[in-house]
Amino acid sequence: MTGAEAASTAVQLVGGIALAPLLVGLVQHWKARLQGRRGPTPFQPYRELRRLWGKSTVDVAGAGVVYRLAPSVTAASVAVAVLLVPVASAAPDLGVGRDALVLAGVLALARFAVAIAAWEVANGFALMGASRDLTIAVFVEAALVLALAVAALVSGTTDLVLMVAGTAGTEAWADPALALAAVAFALVVVAETGRQPVDNPDTHLELTMIHEGPLLEYAGRDLALLQWAAAARHWLVLVLAAQVFLPHPTDPWLQLAVLPVVLVALCGALAVTETLVAKMRILLAPRLLGVAALLALLGVVVWLVEAA
Amino acid sequence: MSFAASVLVGGAAVGTGGLLTLLRRTFVAGLTVQAVGCALLAVGGIWALVADETAGNAFTSAFDLRIGIDGLSGLFLGILGAVGVAALVFATGYLEPSAKGRTIGALTGLFVLVQALVLVARDPLTFLVAWEAMTLVPAAVILVSRADEPARRSVFYYVALTHLAGAGTWVAILLLAREGAIGDPSVISTGSGLQVAIALAALVGMGAKAGVMPLHVWLPLAHPIAPAHVSALMSGVMIKIAIYGLVRVLVDWLGVLPEWLGLLVLALGVLSSVAGVVYALFQHELKRLLAFHSIENIGIIVLGLGACLVLRARGEDEWAALALAAALLHTVNHALFKSLLFLGAGSFEKAVGSLELDRLGGLVRRMPWTGAAFLVGAAAIAGLPPLNGFASEWATLQSLLHVPAFGGVGAGIAGALALAALAATAALAALCFVKVAGLTLLGPARREAVSHAEERAAPMVSGIVALAGMCVVLGVAPGLLLGSLVGLAPWSDAAPTTVGLDLPGTGVLRSGGIALALVAFAGALFLLRGRRVAAPVPTWACGQLVERPLDWTSAGFTKPLRLVLEDVLRPEREIVVRAEGGVVQEVSYEGRVPHLFEERLYRPVTALAMEGAHHARRMQSGRLGTYVAYLLALVLVVLAAAKLGILG
Repeated sequence: MTGAEAASTAVQLVGGIALAPLLVGLVQHWKARLQGRRGPTPFQPYRELRRLWGKSTVDVAGAGVVYRLAPSVTAASVAVAVLLVPVASAAPDLGVGRDALVLAGVLALARFAVAIAAWEVANGFALMGASRDLTIAVFVEAALVLALAVAALVSGTTDLVLMVAGTAGTEAWADPALALAAVAFALVVVAETGRQPVDNPDTHLELTMIHEGPLLEYAGRDLALLQWAAAARHWLVLVLAAQVFLPHPTDPWLQLAVLPVVLVALCGALAVTETLVAKMRILLAPRLLGVAALLALLGVVVWLVEAA
Repeated sequence: MSFAASVLVGGAAVGTGGLLTLLRRTFVAGLTVQAVGCALLAVGGIWALVADETAGNAFTSAFDLRIGIDGLSGLFLGILGAVGVAALVFATGYLEPSAKGRTIGALTGLFVLVQALVLVARDPLTFLVAWEAMTLVPAAVILVSRADEPARRSVFYYVALTHLAGAGTWVAILLLAREGAIGDPSVISTGSGLQVAIALAALVGMGAKAGVMPLHVWLPLAHPIAPAHVSALMSGVMIKIAIYGLVRVLVDWLGVLPEWLGLLVLALGVLSSVAGVVYALFQHELKRLLAFHSIENIGIIVLGLGACLVLRARGEDEWAALALAAALLHTVNHALFKSLLFLGAGSFEKAVGSLELDRLGGLVRRMPWTGAAFLVGAAAIAGLPPLNGFASEWATLQSLLHVPAFGGVGAGIAGALALAALAATAALAALCFVKVAGLTLLGPARREAVSHAEERAAPMVSGIVALAGMCVVLGVAPGLLLGSLVGLAPWSDAAPTTVGLDLPGTGVLRSGGIALALVAFAGALFLLRGRRVAAPVPTWACGQLVERPLDWTSAGFTKPLRLVLEDVLRPEREIVVRAEGGVVQEVSYEGRVPHLFEERLYRPVTALAMEGAHHARRMQSGRLGTYVAYLLALVLVVLAAAKLGILG
């Protein structure tokens, strides 16, 4: 293993597992500042994880093994996704491959596990959240796969490492295909991370919850796993945004050096969006994501015309 | 050839078993012998596929009775045998040795035999006769098992539609036979009118049999009312044999088709997959819902087939073979998980009666084995890793991605649209099966009978669990099959056998590694969760009182999607409030999502046909003299036409 390979593996694992909650904390922190509040420190998610980890789990009476397994399955599939998504074009295969379409699959599994557990507790708010999450996911997945398809066409493969390499430098950005896909992916990021205008992570109104809804009955370590999974999702989509859907250097070492800066900037961008944009009516979110899918499709068309 | 012997002995065993099933004394033995026969069919078929060898006669266009087997027949014999074993073992517990049950058991054997005959037929006559018998036998099974008016009506629809559209199969096969093109792709030239005509006729005839939209309306009528093990054979195997027919005609016998035909097939795939799953979402009866999902999955298979035809037309032979292999892999996978789900539905029906989704609940606790296997099937059909549905959908996505990758603006856009459609289909299937699994398996029991449900006897359970096992195996190691499937394209050699899916020049599906990582992580995290659990508490629900009448329903869970798609689906709802002296006495609500294909497409056509029949009836006087006059007039017209040279 070369130095660059070792370094990118280390960044990928440490970042995906340990630094992910910091991204959530940063967004919350800046959002509070932008809104004129003092807000919690960026390290607040870690405190919450520590607190939850120390508490005992609460099982809902009558809920079975599906309910108890759901947080572990969700966290496990997000963990596999962390192994999938490379941070630089030098990352080696960690045993689960590097395929972009597999990423869509494991994220769907994470969603499925949480949603199905909502039926176990027969909590109306949980089911409402699950049903909305899965409805919006239809449009998110179409947009995600199309955005990934544009990047795959530009770089000629669905291998994420080669996609990072294929979209690096300035040449790939000469035609607007990748830029269109990037706009589509930005909307996917907003939906996957459960942020405004699609979802509101800080909501206290159960009726407006999407991602938080199915989590309502969980406590203790279960909830800690689910919160970590939500944070790791931030890491996954933001790393992809930085290393595929934004211009980045070709040298793996430079990629690693620039990554933290871009991630922090993207967190800032999320905080600004959350401050400027109000949450959408739930039924309008699919339209927004439909627009994302159409933009990505336009990206494919542009690529086809350029290639012809 | 030993695999040919295995297939022949298997067929004989199914036949003998079928006869034994007719006698009360040997009923169970008969079903068991049939199951053994199916196992032999499967072994022989898979052997032929893996060895890539042929036995028996080659294809002929002459009307001599010929049978033989090659890799493609072997694959479908393998599917038939594998599903057949599970369905027949299941049937030993499911059917009762009453006169009705014995007849159904024997007809099941006949059903398996005629399907096997379609697969080994090597001449047009055997093929067509077996093809028609394959349509009629399940109709007979349904009529034996139920004789009520709605069932008879559904069977009428089924037979009428598959025969009307099925004429396309006859046209295609007979045209091929006339040209001597059965088994010989060099006879018919690319782009000729004849080639296009045969391809379109096959798409109509075999597409209707497969349940491709818009010729699908018989499928959700006929499949749910058959006995569960026959539903499994119909959804799992029969509609796949129509896919076999399509692959034979479009890929094997017609050479290279023009690109627009491939794009047409792609469009049919998009329509079937998306519309199939959307209508499935709004079904509230389990077996009917599963039938709509068969349409969806046929759509996914047809997407792969379409990608194959487009890529072949563009000369990208390597990826055309991979797209075909993806379609065939999904054929195998769908056969496994759909028959699993139908058998599971049959078990639930035996245990609790009606399968109305809103009136089930909590069955995984009452029937742990069946329930767990059903959950595996639900996750597999939803296309989730590490199960088999994901592997074949991944391979299909890769094939569709390679349609634009090889350039061409028109075809490229079609490929990208199909890609988005497949991604959305997978997400919709996940939504649907979260609903299905939640309403049947999880949560509290929603009626008295459900809370007393008992796990079924060992034979029924073992059939279902075996299918779940196969779903897991093909999910973890889909590459075991894919290599041989690539070799089924006449222009391609088999690819090496691997565990995951290793496609050239693109990403790799490390299915084994992913499965291992998922299980290891989930297990470790579950252990880390610790044993320290507080005493169970009632559902909190943010302080709201949880009341049974407020339980979520099938319609409620899919309401957000219904609202989003309102402009397309045009749902109907009716609220009647009865008030007396300003006090509301009664509120009745009725909502439904109409099946637009039936209402907008079929109803006008049937109305027109009835209108035509009404006029035609005037000609039917019932007097012999009138009919002789008609005959005379016809002869005169024909003679006049011949004289004028219209008849050539």
